[in-house]
Amino acid sequence: MPEEENFVHRLYNSVLKEPWPYWVGAVLLGLLNISLFAFKGNPWGITTTFAYWGAWIFQALGGDVSQWTFFQNAKNAKALTAGWLHDGGTMQDLGIIVGAFLATLLASQFRIKKIKAAKQVVAALVGGILMGYGARIALGCNIGAFFSAVPSMSLHGWIYTIFIFVGAYIGSKILVRYLL
Amino acid sequence: MAEVRLDCYGEACPIPLLKAEKKMKELKTGDVLIVETDHSCAIKNVPEWARKKGYLVDIEETGEGTWDIRIEKTA
Repeated sequence: MPEEENFVHRLYNSVLKEPWPYWVGAVLLGLLNISLFAFKGNPWGITTTFAYWGAWIFQALGGDVSQWTFFQNAKNAKALTAGWLHDGGTMQDLGIIVGAFLATLLASQFRIKKIKAAKQVVAALVGGILMGYGARIALGCNIGAFFSAVPSMSLHGWIYTIFIFVGAYIGSKILVRYLL
Repeated sequence: MAEVRLDCYGEACPIPLLKAEKKMKELKTGDVLIVETDHSCAIKNVPEWARKKGYLVDIEETGEGTWDIRIEKTA
């Protein structure tokens, strides 16, 4: 009996608790990206959905985005009127959040982390806004404009890749100066 | 054989690693640095850095989502 218990325990640890090797994650992500593309017909993206979420929230609060240039595009206009329950991107992004949550719970590592300093809040807000803004003007984030764009042989993906390194380099200098 | 605790709770990568590197410089041979973290990526990159430096590393899970990374400065 102890041998079987030990096996299950070790299996639980390596599959559900400890981080998987980088190469396993890489291969799985590659395969899933291909599958998702094959299934839905267009490449994986994250942040277009965020633009929709922002628009829906803004509209719920009384705003009107229907005349904005972004929403003159047929696909975006259609998504805007169809609502979040009919948006595939919303379901995917919610799926990521739920999946990550589930993984943390299964590993018994769920924890609500406290904020230690106001600096963290400022850094998170400024960083988040820059990331969101950048992702929209780049027409994608590290998923849509890199992970999907480069395999699609799109030049914009390569330009994005080069400049994300530049941005990260500058960001790390700021990080060390401001948060360390 | 001093034991120094470094509280990195709530801090995201790469802060725990950078703080550990900085603190380690102040320690003498034989001292132990204990990095307290609740960030799951820190338990990968901090031990990796420490082992590359030749330090002895031990990771203890102290609660749900919290860890103590014990690093002994060997040289």
